[in-house]
Amino acid sequence: MKIKSLLIANRGEIAIRIIKTARKMGIRSYVIKTAKEPNAWYLEEADEIIDFSENFDETIPEFLDIERIIKSAKKRKVDAIHPGYGFLAENPDFARRCEEEKITFIGPSHDAIYRMGHKTIAKELAREHGVPLLGGSPGAVRDAEEARKIANQVGYPVILKAAAGGGGRGMRVVSKEKDIERMFSLATNEAAKAFNNPDVFLERFVREPRHIEFQILADKHGNVVHLGERECSVQRKHQKLLEESPSPALDPALRKKMGEAAINIARSVNYYSAGTVEFLLDVDNSFSFMEMNTRIQVEHPVTEMVTGIDLIEQMILIAEGEKLPFTQKDIKLNGWAIEWRINAEDVQSGFSPSLGTIEKISWPESENVRVDTGVRDGSVITPYYDSMIAKLIVHAETREKAMQQSSLAIRKFWIKGTKTTLAFCRAVLQNSNFRKGNFNTSFLSKELKLHYHAEPDEALLAAFFATYDYAREINENEEKPLHTENGKAITPWVLKKRLR
Amino acid sequence: MARAAKTKQSTKLIALSATNKAYEFKKPLEKKIKYQGKEVDIRLHEDPKGFSYIVWKNKKYMLDVIEKKQNRYTIVVNGVWHSFTVETPVSLKRKRYLENQADSSAAVSIEAPMPGKIIDILVEEGAEVKEGEPIIILEAMKMQNEIISHIAGIVKSISVKKNESVMKDDVLMEIQKA
Repeated sequence: MKIKSLLIANRGEIAIRIIKTARKMGIRSYVIKTAKEPNAWYLEEADEIIDFSENFDETIPEFLDIERIIKSAKKRKVDAIHPGYGFLAENPDFARRCEEEKITFIGPSHDAIYRMGHKTIAKELAREHGVPLLGGSPGAVRDAEEARKIANQVGYPVILKAAAGGGGRGMRVVSKEKDIERMFSLATNEAAKAFNNPDVFLERFVREPRHIEFQILADKHGNVVHLGERECSVQRKHQKLLEESPSPALDPALRKKMGEAAINIARSVNYYSAGTVEFLLDVDNSFSFMEMNTRIQVEHPVTEMVTGIDLIEQMILIAEGEKLPFTQKDIKLNGWAIEWRINAEDVQSGFSPSLGTIEKISWPESENVRVDTGVRDGSVITPYYDSMIAKLIVHAETREKAMQQSSLAIRKFWIKGTKTTLAFCRAVLQNSNFRKGNFNTSFLSKELKLHYHAEPDEALLAAFFATYDYAREINENEEKPLHTENGKAITPWVLKKRLR
Repeated sequence: MARAAKTKQSTKLIALSATNKAYEFKKPLEKKIKYQGKEVDIRLHEDPKGFSYIVWKNKKYMLDVIEKKQNRYTIVVNGVWHSFTVETPVSLKRKRYLENQADSSAAVSIEAPMPGKIIDILVEEGAEVKEGEPIIILEAMKMQNEIISHIAGIVKSISVKKNESVMKDDVLMEIQKA
């Protein structure tokens, strides 16, 4: 069935990204307006706006309100819903409700979401299909005491993970037995909070693995291909900070082996749509299955750049029932792509969120530079959503050239109004082990001691500008009084005295 | 707060960094910096899109004033921020004098690094804490963050309660240095 209209149950850059493909395919796009971001850019890009900003239920965030979203889609006779990432993207109930209401869900079946979303079921499926796994608890851990027992069996360090989790939330690494109780309670609290399910499981923690994930595309006719890997090892507290495709750690033989394992995982749940299979890669090139993300990923653009395939378009075609237009041997990885996540975060104080208004944003336009963003001049970074400002994706023939072009693009990526992770990107590009492709998930904690890079004279220039601005202000204030009283001017200095 | 200089542009000003490094500028409004014994010109520009930058020794440095409160400045140069208080020679002297007078064993306050909700308080008043010990769990941006004591000492007072929402820089706890 051809999809003619599409509701995007998401916001920000991913909403705009999906709208672009919808427009290209002649599909009418609908988005949801919330009171939290009534002037967001994605609203303007869409063909239609569904207004949730009035009469909203404060107990449930707009993008999680399954019944309201379904009702709105039905009322407007929308053919399909794309959930984007986060929010309801991996909620099996939402996919099921769409199916029940005969709205095409642009994603896998609710059954595949459920089974892959449930980490213990997913691990069992992996085991049945001969995909390697790490040792740990067979299912959810009952209590701190059981966690202690299993941890002692598999050996420290161990990791506690939310059974319903993803994206690094609800995960805690425990290095010593004395911490297990506190960490268990942190992990279960966070899991309950974030996923409405306090279950956590425990597994052996590989100290310095690489995080490698494979992009899968599968249709409803049993055809499954992989589009190569993404290297996501540069992370902080399990949050990815940059991704590249391909990975400097893989050769064609290992890529083939891991790609086949990823396809096996997808086949184990009769997967269709786009999906991602995550692996840990150890130093000896042994790998183990982590989880499958049953949605489009934040970092999908690097795969699009090296394969030339529009993943959102393929998701829509698959949802319409089309067969994949290519087979595995048609997939070629062309060149190297790196995605830099530019977040409103203060890298000089532990990446804490830096809220505020993006006064101005500008980047270098170029053929091999792609910027996916949901903000423009005047956009506000709110506390309600994540802190992402933009994704800068650079594509070149080789990794070396991609890094070189990245340096140029980052230097010309200007943001005014908030602290950003741009200085972190500079620091990464300065690091010799990153440049050699020699890094793993401990890169930030062990290798990159300083999380930002400043050139020698920058502090001096900042200091100069502070004194300059201060001196200028004093001069201006003396010349132009700012306040008047009974028609007479009062200088700020007089005002200041009164306020004392 | 340091009281500001009222005098005209000829005044010498000092930018004092958070790490107590003093940068002295004789005549900031004349846009010259004394650098390795020489006076070097500094040029300030605004591009057509409204971005400000400095040209210094033929290189371009992007500039953004993130925070400005009286004499306190946070300035971003090429993506890295630097904090200063702007002082006159007199106010700097006074500031240094007051700092020396301050009791070195005073209590240090632990502030919220970001807005969020207090999920748990891990210590009680009177408890001894080590440097690097987690003292509070703060939930922000959908993450539970451990707030760490950056000094060793005794918990003097706790200013927040469980489930309470806090703003950035709110004082969470006071710790008496050991």
